[in-house]
Amino acid sequence: MSRITHYFKSLLLIELFKGMWLTIRYMFKPKYTMRYPMEHIPKSNRFRGLHALRRYANGEERCIACKLCEAVCPALAITIDSAPRASDGQRRTTRYDIDLFKCIFCGFCEESCPVDSIVETAVHEYHFENRGENVVTKPQLLAIGDRFEADIAAARAQDAAYR
Amino acid sequence: MQEIRNYTMNFGPQHPAAHGVLRLVLEMDGETVVRADPHVGLLHRGTEKLAESKPFNQSIGYMDRLDYVSMMCNEHAYVKAIENLLGIEAPERAQYIRTMFDEITRILNHLMWIGSNALDLGAMAVILYAFREREELMDVYEAVSGARMHATYYRPGGVYRDLPDQMSKYRESPWHKGSDLKRINSWREGSMLDYLEAFTADFPSKVDEYEELLTNNRIWKQRTVGIGVVSPELAQQWGMTGAMLRGSGIAWDLRKKQPYAKYAEMDFDIPVGVNGDCYDRYLVRVEEMRQSNRIIQQCVKWLRANPGPVMLKNFKVAPPSRVEMKDDMEALIHHFKLFTEGYGVPAGETYAAVEAPKGEFGCYLVSDGANKPFRVHLRAPGFAHLSSMDTIVSGHMLADVVAMIGTYDLVFGEVDR
Amino acid sequence: MSAQPTGTAPDLLNIEVDGKPTQIRKGAMIIEAADAIGVSIPRFCYHRKLPIAANCRMCLVDVEMGGKLMPKPQPACATPVAEGMKVMTRSDKALKFQKDVMEFLLINHPLDCPICDQGGECELQDVALGYGRSVSRFTERKRTIADENIGPLVATEMTRCIQCTRCVRFTSEIAGTYELGGMSRGENLQIGTYIGKTVETELSGNIIDVCPVGALTNKPFQFKARAWELIAKPSIGYHDALGSNLWLHTRRGEVLRTVPRDNEAVNECWLSDRDRYSHQGMYAADRLHAPEVKRNGQWQATTWEDALGAAAEALKKAPGSELGLLVHPATSNEEGDLLVRLARGLGSAHVDHRLRQLDFADNAVATRFGLPVADVAGVKAALLVGSDLRHEMPLLNHRLHQAVKKGAKVYAVNPARFDFNYALAGEAVVAPQALVDALLALAKAAVADGAAAPAALAAPAALAAAIDGAAFDEGDKDAIAALKSGRAVVILGEAAVTHPQASWLRAVARFVAEVTGAGYDELPVGANALGLGRLGVVPGNGGLDAHAMLAQPRKTYLLYGVEPPHDFADGALALKALHGAERVVAFAAFASPALRDVADVILPIALLPETDATLVNVDGLAQGVQAGAKAPAQARSGWKVLRALGGLLQLAGFEFDDLAGLRDGIAERAVAGRDGLAAREPVQGLARLATWPIYRGDAVLRRATALNAHPLNRAPAVRLNAAEAQRLGLAGGNPLRVGDATLPLVIDPAVPDGAAWIEAAQDATATLPPYGAAITLSKA
Repeated sequence: MSRITHYFKSLLLIELFKGMWLTIRYMFKPKYTMRYPMEHIPKSNRFRGLHALRRYANGEERCIACKLCEAVCPALAITIDSAPRASDGQRRTTRYDIDLFKCIFCGFCEESCPVDSIVETAVHEYHFENRGENVVTKPQLLAIGDRFEADIAAARAQDAAYR
Repeated sequence: MQEIRNYTMNFGPQHPAAHGVLRLVLEMDGETVVRADPHVGLLHRGTEKLAESKPFNQSIGYMDRLDYVSMMCNEHAYVKAIENLLGIEAPERAQYIRTMFDEITRILNHLMWIGSNALDLGAMAVILYAFREREELMDVYEAVSGARMHATYYRPGGVYRDLPDQMSKYRESPWHKGSDLKRINSWREGSMLDYLEAFTADFPSKVDEYEELLTNNRIWKQRTVGIGVVSPELAQQWGMTGAMLRGSGIAWDLRKKQPYAKYAEMDFDIPVGVNGDCYDRYLVRVEEMRQSNRIIQQCVKWLRANPGPVMLKNFKVAPPSRVEMKDDMEALIHHFKLFTEGYGVPAGETYAAVEAPKGEFGCYLVSDGANKPFRVHLRAPGFAHLSSMDTIVSGHMLADVVAMIGTYDLVFGEVDR
Repeated sequence: MSAQPTGTAPDLLNIEVDGKPTQIRKGAMIIEAADAIGVSIPRFCYHRKLPIAANCRMCLVDVEMGGKLMPKPQPACATPVAEGMKVMTRSDKALKFQKDVMEFLLINHPLDCPICDQGGECELQDVALGYGRSVSRFTERKRTIADENIGPLVATEMTRCIQCTRCVRFTSEIAGTYELGGMSRGENLQIGTYIGKTVETELSGNIIDVCPVGALTNKPFQFKARAWELIAKPSIGYHDALGSNLWLHTRRGEVLRTVPRDNEAVNECWLSDRDRYSHQGMYAADRLHAPEVKRNGQWQATTWEDALGAAAEALKKAPGSELGLLVHPATSNEEGDLLVRLARGLGSAHVDHRLRQLDFADNAVATRFGLPVADVAGVKAALLVGSDLRHEMPLLNHRLHQAVKKGAKVYAVNPARFDFNYALAGEAVVAPQALVDALLALAKAAVADGAAAPAALAAPAALAAAIDGAAFDEGDKDAIAALKSGRAVVILGEAAVTHPQASWLRAVARFVAEVTGAGYDELPVGANALGLGRLGVVPGNGGLDAHAMLAQPRKTYLLYGVEPPHDFADGALALKALHGAERVVAFAAFASPALRDVADVILPIALLPETDATLVNVDGLAQGVQAGAKAPAQARSGWKVLRALGGLLQLAGFEFDDLAGLRDGIAERAVAGRDGLAAREPVQGLARLATWPIYRGDAVLRRATALNAHPLNRAPAVRLNAAEAQRLGLAGGNPLRVGDATLPLVIDPAVPDGAAWIEAAQDATATLPPYGAAITLSKA
């Protein structure tokens, strides 16, 4: 009996038509895709994207050149030089470079930072046009921080209970 | 008499069906493969050696990049090895989270596999549907760790952070607004566990769809039934694990045989095959997705009912929270030392293995008491599987090699390490 | 068989630490026994070279005596061992007490780790991690302490201090200056200088090393790098002939700081500030980065090919007899030997390294110490002749200081009342011209004390006659008696070796040492004077010595690592000779304006930390070091440059390919001394006392900014005692005119009558009449 059923099923291409019916049904369902870049998929507040250096509300940079991020970076992507700041002798960086080609976006730098200075923002859309631009310097990182400070602070606040 | 010579051809390393960078030197007698010689190492990054030069924790991120389709399972093996040597155990909640994410990872891996294997063998639609579900699970990855693939989420002593109590939502746009926006955000109203619950409720029907496309499909069956038959003896001789072994009828699964994390408490079945051919392995993997779904549901239930710490409160190995670090001298010192030097691991050696989606992924770890591993060896299931290539594909047709590579579920990140 | 352990030496005791049986000398503390067998006990205040204070209480251990556990844990650093004692360092009780002490220590410690330079190499962090709690229970306010500025070398952050008092004990017991101490009590106890003054000891850097926390840190290194970024390369000090062993801490090839490397025979675990901070000078603005050639009066940076060609041409132009080679006395053996080969190849006999010497009558070169450095700490008496030992060789002075603490008597015959960090038993302070007479008096006292007559000791007739003619007093007799009472040493210092009658001083000092049985230690002038002496980097047959080469000017000069005029005994003479020369080829690391003025070709060479080299220290120990830092840009190791130059000139002896080949070819060349003694011409009026200030000794030191800002580096001045100033009618005259320089007058009671102390190697003083020469002062 089952052989006969199988024969007819096979002859009538039943399983092929069932598959096609499935795909046809999807033609009339709402689209799953997003119209990137006009639309974005939701991003977690823990997202680890482009780095930024933050400032305090009074404009003072947070980074105190403790070099924990440099030490913990598995990819050795961070390079810091430090010295007493000329104006007041405070411990500050004179160079803070992140090589984005080396970076593996593991987030350890942000975890290690005792002053919440280096953070990984939700920004993931960036590009380089020239060789060497992959090394992001301190002024650039501070500028990214300034630009996205509101988002950065909001994401950190949302996740505060887990940090 | 004209001399007849076998034709030797390179399959890969730039072949779309080579799953990355496999270079397969095939000796052909017409369309028939006489000898298959896989050349590996094109994606060798020296992960094991690299780990010897870094404090233990810093290598977690590199484990993600081994089998980059089953990220957290790799982390699990490595983290488990460290925990073995340290003699610590993660809190119960962290164990459940790990169990849950291991299974999420398994589904992620099998979705990738089913899509690409079907694509290799001529079926276009499956990968589109499989990737849709992958996206949904990757949102879960992102929600807990901040990264969609390379999570760096498991840590010795627990996991990085607890599960978030909210999922980020789609924003309104000209194409998604009103009830439509509400629909796509419907899973995202509650916590991450709510989202996962919705996913697991929905997922079996999705698996049915894949099966509808493939299981009885005559082309699919023609390409897989009786192809690449691995006898149980052969499977054992070649050191196969995972679906490769279970497809041949041997019910071996570390989750059952040597339960780790919370698998002992989980109710799930191990599917096994009968014939040991590509089709049986397909069926095994599909069923594994359904079983993983069950495990996730059980974990979600437990996690919802049992809040608690997800990281050991032992600052000698696990860093303190940010609040503690900022106003507590002891905590600050531990934070500082952990992030610069790391922790010392008692001298000794250990082997920790997990049932990764592809098979047994193991980490053999030797410590000499320093803050860096003395030696790390990673047992990659794909490597053992690939080495059987010649034995299995000899006598098959060229097109079957593609089916075989697909069914091995090769990822060169782990094969080449 | 008896149960008693056999074979125990009478002064050894059997004890057990953590179950491990060990033997230790009677009177030792538990912590020493534990350290000896590798059982680590946490500690902060204990330091093996410092007296025991037992005030941090971190090293508490459980002790069992005669089968009975002591009721309370004992401090391991202050509990002497006893026969059969059992020590448990990791018992529950011991661990609990250690944990509690750690919590107390952290109560007032600020949350400074991220901004503290000690972070990553901090004993407090390490011990807290190993023995402390994970979470603090202290929620009250922490104590803070206002900072003091204690000078340009050591940065302070006293809030971080845990009052272990290691630094206090260091300054009192090792440095001997008692500059730091504790104030207030209880919670308010704080360490400081009492009055906010600079810590002036020449060993001040060591308080950074002994400080277990970040309270005292390296100021020039402040905030520059973390410990884990630095690569430690073994090297040696090259500013005195002690050859202190040290680690260069480098990052990307640049030396960022220097720390001591333990060597009991040389520097123990200490390092003088001079060796510790000199690396700053290596990166001075006038460091040469490329070879330069002067063409038409203009300096041009050029290629090595061009510069070596120009140098070869310059050296070949005049006959060998018109070529003089002046070699800095810190030049390595390898370079020194090549320079001799170069001189021989070019037919010149005029090569010398004794640039600061004025008296060549006995053609003496530096010799190894008769009494090794390590034994100086055990002497019963010492005689210093013309030596400001603290500044000339700080760590040798430290050894002598240790001897004084054990009761040794130190006598001095000096041209000024130099500042010692211990009391002298007797001192003769006379003007430079009278120094020989003062020493002769001692010799006479020795002879009178019953020693053999000088003639019997084969002393030259002139010396014997001089000794016979001298008169001595009770003080001299005391000194001789002390020197004969046990192990003793006569130290001939730099102020004697560079003296215009050095041959006399050397002969008489040797004589005194011989007749009293004391060791004879002559301080070499220059870090490798000993090695260069052994290799014969001195005038050959008919060659002119360093002073004669300048007094009888040559047409061509080769300067090797020498910076005119500061490195010469007579700066004015050197500048005149070099100005008059037709061609000057200079191998130099720095291009000072004076060097640019006189030279025609400058070849940039590496400094000692940047090259493979061998230096011979005062004990005759040849210490080889490898390059630890990168020489800047085009600068190359001196031996490589010399090899290229020798090859270009096609000279014999330059056929080797590598350093091993070069070293194989190095042979000692005997230097024949002479019996001659300098003519003793009386000086009319004031004689100049010229000493090389501690931080102006060579080109690198003169560029080390932090050292030069230290108070030990005094501003150039004319120092007279009050009576002399009165006599000369200069009392109110300030500033004074000396030659063509104008210098402030400082009334200094340390200066004897008949002498004007004007330190050398300052820009304002470099061209004044040399040491011992008559000098006229007038009101400006």
